[in-house]
Amino acid sequence: MKIVVPGEILVDKPVRMADSYIENGNTYSEVVGLFHETEMRLVALEGAYLPMDEDYVVGVVEEVKFAGYNVEINSPYSAFLSTKDTRFQFEMGDVLFAKVKGVDEVKNVNLFDARKLQGGEIVQISPVKVPRVIGKKSSMLNMLIDATKSEIYVGKNGRMWIKGGDSSLAARSILKIEKEAHMSGLTDRMKDFLQKESGGNNKV
Amino acid sequence: MGGGTNKPVLFVDGKRLDGRDIDELRPIKIKASVLHRANGSCYLEWGENKIMAAVFGPRECIPRHRVDPYSAVINCRYRMSPFASLDEHSKAGPSRRSTELSKVIREVFENVVIGSKYPKTAIDISMEVLQADGGTRCAAITAASIALADAGIPMKDLVCAVAVGKIDGKLAIDFSKIEDNYGNADIPIAVSSRNKEILLLQMDGLMTKDEMSQAMDMAINASDKIHALQVEALKEVYTRKAQDKPDEQVS
Repeated sequence: MKIVVPGEILVDKPVRMADSYIENGNTYSEVVGLFHETEMRLVALEGAYLPMDEDYVVGVVEEVKFAGYNVEINSPYSAFLSTKDTRFQFEMGDVLFAKVKGVDEVKNVNLFDARKLQGGEIVQISPVKVPRVIGKKSSMLNMLIDATKSEIYVGKNGRMWIKGGDSSLAARSILKIEKEAHMSGLTDRMKDFLQKESGGNNKV
Repeated sequence: MGGGTNKPVLFVDGKRLDGRDIDELRPIKIKASVLHRANGSCYLEWGENKIMAAVFGPRECIPRHRVDPYSAVINCRYRMSPFASLDEHSKAGPSRRSTELSKVIREVFENVVIGSKYPKTAIDISMEVLQADGGTRCAAITAASIALADAGIPMKDLVCAVAVGKIDGKLAIDFSKIEDNYGNADIPIAVSSRNKEILLLQMDGLMTKDEMSQAMDMAINASDKIHALQVEALKEVYTRKAQDKPDEQVS
């Protein structure tokens, strides 16, 4: 595992990887990222959120229209939620959790399956760090929920909605994960952190 | 070039005025990720030059008529602060010089940024010269390139820039203000560090063909040194973050 920078050679043969490009039979990195040599995998360490089909996102309603809502999803592209695709009524500023229905070639993003999130808090982290918050088979997220007894909704766009339980600890943990996302052994360190911070009251 | 009639001696005992050799760069200090509001940022000290670069985006492109449906639009702003140098830059607002530099720097980055990943968006690069001592466009390009990488914008390569030229009839690299003003020729060059493609080449003054090709070699050699510093600065960000050191926030 090593940190690579844009233009750095990853492998001297053409390999298809996210955030990389192939030139003259070599594969180069496009971003500052972590390269796992054994798995041939490149993980970006910075970057904006690009909506993909089936992603869950936490969004904020920025405009109410006749046919639906324009939703801000922490991305260069704002999303649209049709009234047909939700049972809820929203107002400007409402927070919602929804799934991306589709992204077309001109980057119009459509949402569906939206539900309103009432109360709670939002923590914003870099979208590229979200997989670390979830962990393998959502191990990290389950650990957070067990330790804090909070309700946590994780959006692929880097927004986390937290309600109830020890929400302050949940928020601090998520920010800690963001900060240490590029280092290995994160789950163990988070385990210790949660145990220490919750004063050993909660079994992790 | 632009200097007065009282031309100083630019070489003393074979060394330059600040004690450098002809192929020696000024000391360069780079720190990436220094601003919290920007998506990516970089503070760079290159000799007496002090540059702050920040990148915002990709974000919605405004005004909408400038939207490119196939690629991201790059906006560049190079600005010299009123206190950066002598009186000549002390006026506020855009000047002929800063408008030109913003344009040529934008063209540098249009060649390395992979804009097709973020169609219909804009990437804003802002470079602020806080203190100037010759070679600010090269320093600004070097800094902006790091700020872009720090913002996670996909790029084919990092860009390093350096000036070469001729002072008192000798080829030399990385001019300070006084050498720039009283030298014979000054050529700022930006190269993409991986394949040594030339992304910016401007020239002020006169040089022979042979000198020119020699100067290019010097610039490309120097760009390797700058590239090493850029990589180091980008990697340092993650050791800094991991150690939980509070970043020096500029607010």
